[in-house]
Amino acid sequence: MTAITTSSPTASRVPALKAIWRQTGFAPILFVVLLAINIFINPARFAPGAWGTLIGLAAPLVGAAIASAPAILGGRGGIDISVGPIMGFVNAIVVLVLIQKLGLSSPFIVVGVAVAIGAAIGALNGFLATILRIQPIVATLGTYLLLVGTTLTILPAPTGTVPVWLKSLGGPLSILPLGAVFLIWIGIRRLPYYDHLMAVGSDDRAAYTAGIPVTLVRFLSYVITGVFAGVAGLMMTALIGSADPSIGPTYTLIAISAVALGGVSLAGGRGGLLGAAIGAIDIFLLQSALTYFNFSTFVLQIAYGAILVIAIVLTALQDRWLGRMRGVN
Amino acid sequence: MARLTSDQARVFGALIVAVALHLTGTTLIEGYSSEFSMRAMLVLGSLLAIASIGQTLVVIVGGIDLSIPFVIGFANVVTAQLYGGGMNFALVCLVVVGLACLIGALNGLISSSLKLHPLIVTLGIGTIVQGSVLLWTGGFPSGSAPESITEFVSIGGSVGFLPVPWLVPCFVALAAIVTVALARTAYGRRLFALGSNPRAAPLALIHPVAMWTATFAISAAFAAVTGILLLGFTGSAYGEVGQPYLFQTIAAVVIGGTALVGGRGSYLGTVAGALVLTEINTLLIGIGLQPSLVQAVLGVVIVVLVSFYGRDAHVRTTI
Repeated sequence: MTAITTSSPTASRVPALKAIWRQTGFAPILFVVLLAINIFINPARFAPGAWGTLIGLAAPLVGAAIASAPAILGGRGGIDISVGPIMGFVNAIVVLVLIQKLGLSSPFIVVGVAVAIGAAIGALNGFLATILRIQPIVATLGTYLLLVGTTLTILPAPTGTVPVWLKSLGGPLSILPLGAVFLIWIGIRRLPYYDHLMAVGSDDRAAYTAGIPVTLVRFLSYVITGVFAGVAGLMMTALIGSADPSIGPTYTLIAISAVALGGVSLAGGRGGLLGAAIGAIDIFLLQSALTYFNFSTFVLQIAYGAILVIAIVLTALQDRWLGRMRGVN
Repeated sequence: MARLTSDQARVFGALIVAVALHLTGTTLIEGYSSEFSMRAMLVLGSLLAIASIGQTLVVIVGGIDLSIPFVIGFANVVTAQLYGGGMNFALVCLVVVGLACLIGALNGLISSSLKLHPLIVTLGIGTIVQGSVLLWTGGFPSGSAPESITEFVSIGGSVGFLPVPWLVPCFVALAAIVTVALARTAYGRRLFALGSNPRAAPLALIHPVAMWTATFAISAAFAAVTGILLLGFTGSAYGEVGQPYLFQTIAAVVIGGTALVGGRGSYLGTVAGALVLTEINTLLIGIGLQPSLVQAVLGVVIVVLVSFYGRDAHVRTTI
């Protein structure tokens, strides 16, 4: 699609708030509305004292959405559909192998292994998608099947427990892993790498002509996605408190939906991790409100699909409208 | 014709892989080429290939359709429900395929008119469709499949002297029609033109929105047909019956040499891709792997196959 130039003279006159709106679409508005509804109908659940548990509940989805974003930002069909299975695989390895079999439950080892697994699988995805140049959705589909199959083979049924420190990351200390991911991302944003990624995402040919190492930039975006997916796997492990082979893969599609809802363009080069996180929180709040009203999961599914479609349609219409205002087609 | 074009080479490559897999299976596993096993593979391969017709067309025009498994589940459940309720079967099929066309048309219309990524649109619409079906049946679909459709897809069926059910010859005819439609009709030419250059095609009076709407409608229609056929195959309705087809249709298309960037590909390739996937599945289960391991190996095989002939161009060659 068309490239967005961020350095046009008109862009500087657009107020910062409008720029954020433009970047994240309707997700923040939806966030405010859904949050208000949730606080109104269920104040106890949203009281400050319960924030730890609440964030812990939302964390795996938010983590999965954040993880999905970097590969998508790289453009030219960049996507990682193996994010969910990476979470499931990390969950199985941490609980089954590290904690149960080897008895290693030190935070440094567990976090280190989770990050290392994520980075390794991310590097594999990056190798397949950028160096072998297999279309990303197919390359990561291969990894998806490989990971789901391996996870089910080593862990046929749910089992195991997690140490207290890990459990607390799904409760009172749930902000820590999310905060860590955001800190890493803020760090990345200050590097030239971030500008390279966005440039490659908006127009890889122009970026290549300008001397940006396109392949390396895209490769690293998959590694970042993998690392974040590994951390999201830890968040999921903290929340469910055991090893379960069936939960991880379900996060993939919902995370991609959250990313799109949060205003990240699936064509690349546009959006950010904050938008993806807000999109994920929207989906979580929606689920939370509908569950409170005792709607069946079926209604929940319809509402979730409808909100997704409506939100991206509104974002597209808003884009057109803003584009017309600025005299750009 | 002295040399094959690269597209023909890809189709040819996929066919060779299918044959090689079959020969491997025959040497490794006793009874791999037995009549029953061949019949089963033909039926399963045909079902996958029919489900992938739509995906092929959608990918050629430059899109992707993730709503196929949801539409398959929708058709499966609604057909059983309506037929079980006493409606005439032909009418049921008409209603189900008609509704599916509307769902698909909506997918194409939203994606193309607002320039939204079809991946997310079809996922959203698919989720709504699945939720609605679940809500309607309360999660427990009832109803039954008519004898005729069970007969049509039955592995033990036969057509005159041919030891295959009617599904297989009908599928061969369908494949021929799709191939001719892609190569010889105005629709087919427009599909390739729009897929290879979305900006130039409108200048040649090709209407992108109309093309996308029609193509996604066709995709959903064939997904619905697959759903109805699967009802005959399994005998009872199951809303999740289409789930394996989410990634398998994409894999069949890509193994068959159709590029996901659009504008290139063939249905014959997809058929070869569907055969390859069916052969791999049968082979892996045949050598005694657990279903979970089959899945893992399938992932590796897809990547290895595609890395041989489905690679994208480097960015420097696209300037």
